[in-house]
Amino acid sequence: MICRKCNSPGTLIIRKEYCYCDECFIFMINHKFRACLGKNKTLSANEKILICLSGDACSTVLLDLVYNAISLNNHKKLRVVPYVLYIIETVADNEKISNSIIEQCKSYGFPLTITNINEYNKNFFSNKEETESQNSYNSKSILSNVTSSIHRDVMMKIKQNIFLKISKELDCNTVFTAETTTSLATKLLSNIVIGRGSQIENDIGFADKRDRDTRILRPLRDITNEEIEHYIQIKEIKPAKAMHNKLNETSLQSVIKNFVMDLQENYPATISTICKTADKIGSITNNINKKKCVVCQSNLDNNDLNLTAVDATVFSRKVSLRQSGESKYNEDSQNIEENNLMFPFIYQSLCYCCSRNMSELGNNKIKQ
Amino acid sequence: MPVLCKAGCGKNAMLKRPKTGDALCKECFFWAFETEIHFTITKGELFKKGDSVAVAASGGKDSTVLAHVLKTLNQRYDYGLNLMLLSIDEGITGYRDDSLETVKQNRDDYEMPLKILSYKELYGWTMDEIVAQIGRKNNCTFCGVFRRQALDRGAAMLNVKCIATGHNADDIAETVLMNILRGDIARLKRCTAICTGSEGTIPRVKPLKYTYEKEIVMYAHYKKLVYFSTECVFAPNAYRGHARALLKDMEKIRPTCIMDIIYSGETMAVKEEISLPSQRLCIRCNFVSSQEVCKACVLLEGLNKGLPKLGIGKSSKAKKMLEEYNAKQKSSLEEAIKDINDECKKNNCVSKGKVCRSSYKSNQSHTAQVNEESHSKMDTCCNGQCSEKLNTENETNLKVQVLLKEYGLSESELNGQTSDKLTESCDKAQTLEMDDDDFEIDTHSTGKELIEDDDSCGGACGNIDSLHIGF
Repeated sequence: MICRKCNSPGTLIIRKEYCYCDECFIFMINHKFRACLGKNKTLSANEKILICLSGDACSTVLLDLVYNAISLNNHKKLRVVPYVLYIIETVADNEKISNSIIEQCKSYGFPLTITNINEYNKNFFSNKEETESQNSYNSKSILSNVTSSIHRDVMMKIKQNIFLKISKELDCNTVFTAETTTSLATKLLSNIVIGRGSQIENDIGFADKRDRDTRILRPLRDITNEEIEHYIQIKEIKPAKAMHNKLNETSLQSVIKNFVMDLQENYPATISTICKTADKIGSITNNINKKKCVVCQSNLDNNDLNLTAVDATVFSRKVSLRQSGESKYNEDSQNIEENNLMFPFIYQSLCYCCSRNMSELGNNKIKQ
Repeated sequence: MPVLCKAGCGKNAMLKRPKTGDALCKECFFWAFETEIHFTITKGELFKKGDSVAVAASGGKDSTVLAHVLKTLNQRYDYGLNLMLLSIDEGITGYRDDSLETVKQNRDDYEMPLKILSYKELYGWTMDEIVAQIGRKNNCTFCGVFRRQALDRGAAMLNVKCIATGHNADDIAETVLMNILRGDIARLKRCTAICTGSEGTIPRVKPLKYTYEKEIVMYAHYKKLVYFSTECVFAPNAYRGHARALLKDMEKIRPTCIMDIIYSGETMAVKEEISLPSQRLCIRCNFVSSQEVCKACVLLEGLNKGLPKLGIGKSSKAKKMLEEYNAKQKSSLEEAIKDINDECKKNNCVSKGKVCRSSYKSNQSHTAQVNEESHSKMDTCCNGQCSEKLNTENETNLKVQVLLKEYGLSESELNGQTSDKLTESCDKAQTLEMDDDDFEIDTHSTGKELIEDDDSCGGACGNIDSLHIGF
């Protein structure tokens, strides 16, 4: 048990292998955070940044790291002007959480904005060009009726849109989120599983550049949840919300989260492998005309591939309904009509996954 | 209350399709299932009229259904394909021997010619023998690598235009997940393509790419197709199991996720600035490879050299391992020769006749030969197979004994003993010398080095990194 940096007695072991003392560990985490920002060379001096909190340990650590970096008094000082945003998502417990976050920001001296997600829910759906009919529905009730897999995905997109909206109101060009290696690995697998594979670059990479003016950066992307836990223990920080509890709901994301936590336990190297993979993946669409999904702002995939899972799924539906005679199964006119049922607005204004979500939301609407 | 078939034929539905959630009756399901594969084949432009196509047949559900459906569609839509079956016999007792019987049944049922190639005849090893060497871990690496090449070889022998494999949608989704977990970008790029194969190689096509495993099972069941459903006896140890378990869990929650994963795979691309290994031909066997020497050749070399772990893990590791192995071989050979030379010199000093000198010469050449022989024995000897090792040692000892007799001869001649006594004393000398003879020690040390080599690899392969390895 000797710290691998300074040879003094170590106090903690990460990844079951590497021993550190408290001091060297905190130094290492600070370094990882700064290195991540530094090597990407994206911040200019005195830039306004919006730090988005969820209240869990990761975002609390992010706040602390930013505070430490700007309070330095040497050449390493981080020259940014931080603002903080907290979005109230659930009804339960939220007063306690927001109070705790207000306390934290006060002690750091960062200006805080608190907003409620429900105010944006309705607007979110009315944003879509062709969905007039959705306007009349209470978006909250629509969301409560869909499967939790879609619910989670839609919520994430809503939050992302709020980040961008608030950042513009506050005149910030940069947003920091507190996603760690572990949570990004989960997000990457979730992305693949719901058909957002081509959006990985922006969803998991260091910078999300889908918005023309505002970048979303992920400065904790080289830090694992395990390290976050050690950090809050050493620094005796009390996060407003607990994290890491295995989810009980049955969604794709929860299955993946449990899977990743299991990996972290037994194969810690795999987590970083997954995240490194994300850096190398782009999209096949070199979309020059820049058609974007109206919900998630991702570039739309082109419909110029010969045969994709969309064609196959649409055709499956068609033959299941015996709609096509054997001779005219590939008539284009029918194709578009079918597209609209299974994949509404795909290739036009929605990406694959948002289109699938829309189709499921639509089905719900019919049931109501 | 029974649900009506959604196709509107008036019959009761019998199953719910996982891909779309539609309930269908048996007849409508058959029609939908077959028409979908027809759609995949025509839209994906998998075959040209008049092509010869080898169906890679394992006797399992996927390949059986593939053979059946291809035959049906070939007749129904007049593809004009010349279909044949191609099977690989890996030599797995209790699995492949039984499933090959099923393939033979398919051959008779579908009236297609069948070609069976075995690992034994292609590589000189059966999977059973390989597993005896490598153990229960990593053996799918051997099987997979060898089978891929075996299929290429078989297709070349049959002179076909392409190979159709029974990969279904679940398999492909699973492979996407697995390649993400391993960080294998090159394969991630290839694995969702419906038709793979670079120039100069025989392309593989996957007509069942968009067909759910569940539907394949149902189709085979309701059509009463004969197929072999036992899982490979070695498969439970494969890493693929992790990805499969995850996929099965997710499919329960949202059956469409399989198609979603395939779509993700289809629309993802490797960034331009990332350099990928390019596919080329192996300098040894001339089949496709991403390295100078293909994996199959490396694995085979490892098996034949008694270093079964050689091809497991990074290729740089393999190179190092091989260098060490060769260096050790060389140094132990040199040492042995040196020892013998010293010994001979000693003898030379004692002896003063021409006979001795000539015997020194012949001894030297003989020793070198024996050494080489003993080393080649060690090459094929397995470190895991103790019985064989003992045999080899005995054989080596025999050689040593022969050698000793020659030694004894020169000594005894000097002492001027009679031939009868000579053999007696020789035997005695042998038993005495056996314990601390140079040759004996030498073979021992070679054996030890080999084992150490093996152990160090086992350590490297058995740790966390094994995740990145065993595919």
